[in-house]
Amino acid sequence: MMNSKSLVHIENVSKFYGDLKALDNVSLDIHEGETVVIIGPSGSGKSTLLRSINKLETIDAGKVIIDGVDIYDEATDINKVREEVGMVFQSFNVFPHKTVMENLNLAQTVVRKRTAEEATGISKKLLEKVGIFEKADEYPGKLSGGQQQRVAIARALAMTPKIMLFDEPTSALDPEMIGEVLDVMTKLAKEGMTMVVVTHEMGFAREVADRIIFMDHGAVVEQGTPDEFFDHTENDRAKLFLSQIL
Amino acid sequence: MPMSGSAEKPKKVEISEGGAIPKKDDVGLFTAWRVAFVGAISIIIALVYFKPEPYFDIIKFLPDGIYVTFKVTIASILLSLVFGLIAGLGRISQNMFINGIASLYVEIIRGIPLLVQLFYIYFALGKFVKLPAEVCAIIAMSICYGAYMAEIFRAGIDAIPKGQTEAARSLGMTSSQTTKHVILPQAVKTILPPVGNEFIALLKDSSLVSILAVSDLLRRGREYASESFDYFETYTMVALIYLVITLILSKLVGIMEDKISDDE
Ligand SMILES: Nc1ncnc2c1ncn2[C@@H]1O[C@H](COP(=O)(O)OP(=O)(O)OP(=O)(O)O)[C@@H](O)[C@H]1O
Ligand SMILES: [Mg+2]
Repeated sequence: MMNSKSLVHIENVSKFYGDLKALDNVSLDIHEGETVVIIGPSGSGKSTLLRSINKLETIDAGKVIIDGVDIYDEATDINKVREEVGMVFQSFNVFPHKTVMENLNLAQTVVRKRTAEEATGISKKLLEKVGIFEKADEYPGKLSGGQQQRVAIARALAMTPKIMLFDEPTSALDPEMIGEVLDVMTKLAKEGMTMVVVTHEMGFAREVADRIIFMDHGAVVEQGTPDEFFDHTENDRAKLFLSQIL
Repeated sequence: MPMSGSAEKPKKVEISEGGAIPKKDDVGLFTAWRVAFVGAISIIIALVYFKPEPYFDIIKFLPDGIYVTFKVTIASILLSLVFGLIAGLGRISQNMFINGIASLYVEIIRGIPLLVQLFYIYFALGKFVKLPAEVCAIIAMSICYGAYMAEIFRAGIDAIPKGQTEAARSLGMTSSQTTKHVILPQAVKTILPPVGNEFIALLKDSSLVSILAVSDLLRRGREYASESFDYFETYTMVALIYLVITLILSKLVGIMEDKISDDE
């Protein structure tokens, strides 16, 4: 796995909010086909790091290279990069004024310039994959949280991205709906999608992650395989964190 | 930590001036609308029927003015929507220059009474360019109401959760694609009620243009009254006609709102 190509290369990235160091000299590589799970206490910079991978945040120092493209370079067309980087948010952010099918088709037609038929064909397959094919013509307001989040995942996948980012995709869900979303993500990981997932679902992390990244105070403090991290970490902060959540 | 299980809903924009818009669920207002409308129509009919002298003469004299009032109102509404949208988008622009210009426009215009603006454009600027009174009236009304509309557009767009923009941008949509496909269609729903209020307020304020010798409804009334000396009868009729028009307009706006909110 580690010999495969580096899709995301993060090099010495720092970011400040005023005096607060939200990211502290973070360096990280994410390889093709890898599932990386980022964990850490609240406020440790997980979202900020994830959002710097598709430039939803600005950074104050360092570099982010995606598939060979320096995304913070002035000359880079960030919209081209974002086509290849799907993102799923804690609050779903589905488009409430569009049906499920239209949610999936919008960026495909507007950004990828696919024809309506092409887009619909792709959307149908994805809706089937995430298990909400029968909801294609509903508006999101009629769907449960778990269903909306699966729409959001399918919408991101419809762009055929090279990498998917997930920022606490199940944190806003009622407990009984968490499983259906995690199942979809597990399936994706097994199919070889490159994924970066911020989550508090330790079961998922242990089972699906190739690598765990532990962050604290804006820095990557520890990383390793789930086995190394959960059972054999020597890092005090990581141990403290694990003792609090497990 | 878990938030509610459903998607974020845009907040309601609560800005209200001008006539109240009857909604089905507001029973009190709905009945008041009916009473006022039926009452006004009945009184007009009764007056014309029982006292055709002078009421029938008055009502024959006024339609030209109603036509001009409509013309000025509709032209001003359309133009002010354009000004409002441009300035509203300017007000939320990241570009400091555009933002500054738009904010300045809104602040200045909202700080000057419409009547003064009318005078200014017609008489003061008339020193340099002489435009027909009606054109000046439409320009002044549109500039003025454009500034009000801009604030409504800005508030309506601000009320759309930031996550919507982030989701669209994360899919590779440009800022203008996001505005067009994601933000504006959602903002329309929150914007429509206050914009409807502005339409009604604008219609009523259009009576101010009579001061520029534009022969609108009020001006025609004045012309009739000053010749016949039937001040009481004429202005009663003018007031009733304004009332009927305003009530019809507020009804139409109400219907339009219901349509849009059912549309889901
Ligand atoms: N827009 C902002 N303005 C100021 N400070 C911010 C802003 N966004 C984040 N921060 C701060 O930056 C730090 C990192 O935030 P971030 O959201 O990345 O943490 P997180 O690890 O994702 O936390 P959580 O688990 O609560 O989501 C926090 O201290 C947060 O308060
Ligand atoms: Mg976070």
